[in-house]
Amino acid sequence: MDCGTCESASPLQVHVPDEVEVDLTMTDKARDMLTDAFGDDRSHALLVGVLSGGCSGYMYDLQIVESTETPCQELNINGFRVLVPRASSHLLNGIEIDYVDRLMGGGFKINNPNASSSCGCGESFA
Amino acid sequence: MGLHHVDGYVLLLQGENILPFLDGLSSNLVNGPCTTVFTDRAAKIIDACDVLVIGENVALVGYGDEKDRLTRHLLDHLLGQNIQIRDISSLNKIYIGDGEEDYPPGATVHEGWFGTVCILGNSIDFEPTWTEEDWREHRIQNVIPFAKHEVTSRHHPFACGLAELVHSSKGCYLGQEVLTRMRSRGKFGHRLVVKENPVTGATTVGKAHSLSIERIQ
Repeated sequence: MDCGTCESASPLQVHVPDEVEVDLTMTDKARDMLTDAFGDDRSHALLVGVLSGGCSGYMYDLQIVESTETPCQELNINGFRVLVPRASSHLLNGIEIDYVDRLMGGGFKINNPNASSSCGCGESFA
Repeated sequence: MGLHHVDGYVLLLQGENILPFLDGLSSNLVNGPCTTVFTDRAAKIIDACDVLVIGENVALVGYGDEKDRLTRHLLDHLLGQNIQIRDISSLNKIYIGDGEEDYPPGATVHEGWFGTVCILGNSIDFEPTWTEEDWREHRIQNVIPFAKHEVTSRHHPFACGLAELVHSSKGCYLGQEVLTRMRSRGKFGHRLVVKENPVTGATTVGKAHSLSIERIQ
């Protein structure tokens, strides 16, 4: 195979959607759960990202991180540092972070006005 | 034994975490060389591709007219991941056959689900040993669906004979909910069959037999 790793085959152009200033909200329940998780320590941040995959094409990715190499917007929501990767800002603008307290399917939930559909488990969206 | 030249495309993916990226968008378990099917949310086929691992790079080999659609699909889901996609189709020729062939030096050979795939740079002279008709008869004999015939965007993988490329326990991917529901309920709607000629609405017509996708009664 001629893999063309020289200049003979240039990378395909990726259409990068315009970055938007993310507006993000958090329910009282989610704030309480984060308060439990963080305690008084505010050195860490909640990273709210999007990965490709899942039943609907995109999956939410929530992590508690100290820092990240991913270029992010940094928000202060109810006293918590929240990081949103710039590359997925267009998918996350307007979201609400909620916490659902139930035995099955409980945990942090994202309510996303940009999602045209989501899968049964709620972890992925399109 | 033989090899047939097919019109196809080769996309070279370079970067990090390429296999997990492809795994999240296709129906088979992609953790090494394999053949997999990229589906949309309705589980309709975008394209079926062979996945070749070449050092740290990955090549996707497709056989239909869906290069642009698949490329756009992949690019739309990159989301800032460190993966670059190069279209190296024009630098190579793609051959597919039954694996009983002597391959010229410089050939990249992959045992795929559709057959043994051989990719040669344009500078390598090679005369295919199978005609289009040979390849067609081989496919009908072995009930192998293929791009432009059975593997099209009008069908889901189960309908066109690609059930073996739908992994049953790999977890979520685009179209997985629909395919899992079909499998668990045993309702596939259509199926690929081989029938003696004449066959009305055949997708691949052979000398004595043909392939056809028929509705399951």
